[in-house]
Amino acid sequence: MSDSRAKMGYFCSLVPTEVIAAAGYEPVWVKGRAEMTAAADAQMYPNMCPYIKSLFTDAAESGGNGFDGLVFARSCDGVRRLYDVWKAYIPSKFIYMLEVPKNADDLAVTYYASQLHDFAAQIGKSSGCEITASTLRKAIKDANAARGKMRELHSRQSASPLPMSGSELFMQGIQMLHGDDGAKGGPATRRKSSAEDAAAGSRKKTRVMVCGNVMSRPDILLMIEGSGAEVPVADVCTGLRSFERIVDEKGDDPFLSLAEAYLGLPRCSRTAEPAETYARIRDNVNRYNVNGVVLTALKFCDQQLYDIPYLLKKLNDDGVPVLFVENDYVFTDKDRIRTRVEAFVEMLES
Amino acid sequence: MLNKYYTEMKSSLEAAYQQKPRAATKMTIQLASTFVEAYRADKNVVWTSFYSFPMELLAAFDVTPFDFEIAANLLPTFSADAAVEIMNRAEEVGYSTDICSYHRLAAGCDMEGYMPRADLLLSSSYFCDGKAKTNKTLADRYGKEAISLDIPNKISPESVDYVAGQLRRIASRIESISGQKLDLERLRECIRVSNRARRAYEQLADLQKVSPFPYIGVPVINMSIFGNMLAGKEIQEQIYLELVDESRKKIMEGKLTPEKYRVLWLAWFPVQPTVITQIFRKNGVTIVMGELARNYGGGMDESLPFESLALWCLRNPYVGAIEQRLKGINEIIDEYNLDGVVHFSTDACRHSCAAQKLIGDVMKERNIPYLVLDGDMSDKRKYSPERTEMLLENFIGIMAGRK
Repeated sequence: MSDSRAKMGYFCSLVPTEVIAAAGYEPVWVKGRAEMTAAADAQMYPNMCPYIKSLFTDAAESGGNGFDGLVFARSCDGVRRLYDVWKAYIPSKFIYMLEVPKNADDLAVTYYASQLHDFAAQIGKSSGCEITASTLRKAIKDANAARGKMRELHSRQSASPLPMSGSELFMQGIQMLHGDDGAKGGPATRRKSSAEDAAAGSRKKTRVMVCGNVMSRPDILLMIEGSGAEVPVADVCTGLRSFERIVDEKGDDPFLSLAEAYLGLPRCSRTAEPAETYARIRDNVNRYNVNGVVLTALKFCDQQLYDIPYLLKKLNDDGVPVLFVENDYVFTDKDRIRTRVEAFVEMLES
Repeated sequence: MLNKYYTEMKSSLEAAYQQKPRAATKMTIQLASTFVEAYRADKNVVWTSFYSFPMELLAAFDVTPFDFEIAANLLPTFSADAAVEIMNRAEEVGYSTDICSYHRLAAGCDMEGYMPRADLLLSSSYFCDGKAKTNKTLADRYGKEAISLDIPNKISPESVDYVAGQLRRIASRIESISGQKLDLERLRECIRVSNRARRAYEQLADLQKVSPFPYIGVPVINMSIFGNMLAGKEIQEQIYLELVDESRKKIMEGKLTPEKYRVLWLAWFPVQPTVITQIFRKNGVTIVMGELARNYGGGMDESLPFESLALWCLRNPYVGAIEQRLKGINEIIDEYNLDGVVHFSTDACRHSCAAQKLIGDVMKERNIPYLVLDGDMSDKRKYSPERTEMLLENFIGIMAGRK
């Protein structure tokens, strides 16, 4: 699916890919390495989020990163410090730290718009392609259209039986964000055969929603599906949340439109109040007719981990069955997670 | 429990001060008094972060500031076991042990009902993500508003405007909960007072260049954390000047333990009891400066109060790229004639620990012994006295080999 443009990598869904595209680059969400190695621990603090370590490992071991540039964002303490370490140890053609405010009010939007102007100027200089209001508007329109297709697919997932399995939908999203099939590392659990699916089709399946942050592999979804349940949606940074954003195509100032959209809904745990995060989960439970929720967080991801006790309590108080599992991004402990997931699905079905 | 603890702490410190007046005791009395006051029903209580919020803004109002991190985390100094029991409460409801012990303990204290009422909860985005997250979660429990002062990663006219704009809004929120209009002249006076205190603190920082320095250094590091609680108040300058006088007197009397090794302390100093001070004392090691004890903010211009407060935040060494932090570390090394650098690596402090290898590389280039000392601020389960002793003894051995 990748095109002939030079590739500009980015890590966080708060980075407006429209600006990257308007500069003539192909925006590519960076997945990192499928297996963890010791390279990151040698140069970074071991208790960092495994996604960050995976990114660093990949770049350190490949002697670069294979991209023509990288866009970091002030998304969390981990990425801020990854930027520091990256500058020191990884040779890169172009790297940029985008100032993404942690607040989302009008002051933050104005500030973010000013930072997007700077970002556009710098990345335009890097590509030799000056970004104008017109090129940015076109990129906004294209990105809205691409996200719109994914939104459309997600909107059908409230139906029963599911038009598409959650794992397939998730991987389609990864393909759009990353530009390949995203299947490196392989599925963690055997998918049911068509015959098994057909047999199971006669009964109504238990529906489980996955909520969390960054995932590049469908392991948890496959585990749920392998246990006999179905996953209508994965509300994660690289899933539903990446595709729900709509940028105003007719605004007077496209930078302001981007700032409003990217600081607006949907927001992840980084920006949202815990109550907002919970309201979104609750809303999606209803929208997708979900019987239970699997909350997952990357190990050492403070943004998500601090919300977990709050979310567990609220879901329990509201009678929504919930399972929380930490993951290390590459699912080295998939057997342990699978046992818990299978027990959870069994509990839901009983 | 916390209220009782701080009330007793205040009484015993006041008695100690009567016996032997010392500036460090006076500062801790101020801390305990502020916390005790926060439990009074007739006070407007604003939760905030003493070390990462421009406290001059709060000093311009008649409100009582309360720092949930510091308040909860003085407990381990009193009983590390009791602190673990309280952290367990938080862990039972889902707080991961990978989360900073400062916040697990604060959450546990809150669950036990030990915290005072909050009328408004302020926090800031720099230093760490966890502080602001905890603030928001606690605010939700109380049904009160949480505001996070978002500090960008770079200094620019736009970032100063952004932070200043947020501070103006925060002032307006304080007006709402206190029923008191912001008096701009009072805010300007708070900034003038704060500038004077900063100059007094600079005198102390200069004295720390003297060898031997009369304090082992920990009180100075602590003051840089608690001390900002009093920013904008006259007593801050008084305490710093008293500390300067005490230090000068000790230096002039010459009754000082010979100082063998002078070290710079990076990041935090554990609040739970450890063997660190004991080992340093035994081996003649003095912490002459803490990374966070240095004045990075410079003077503030009272004619532009909000912009000046914004700049104070933006100049913090933990804001921005690592170059800002390294610049401060290198300047301290140049000024303080050091024998070594210790980076305290508290388990979950990702913002400070992530660059410890990078800092180590710079120390290597400068040929300065560097130790990453792992441990934990408050959680005794993540602290080993034997390991701490071994690491420190080895480090002291390396410094000795270079003398």
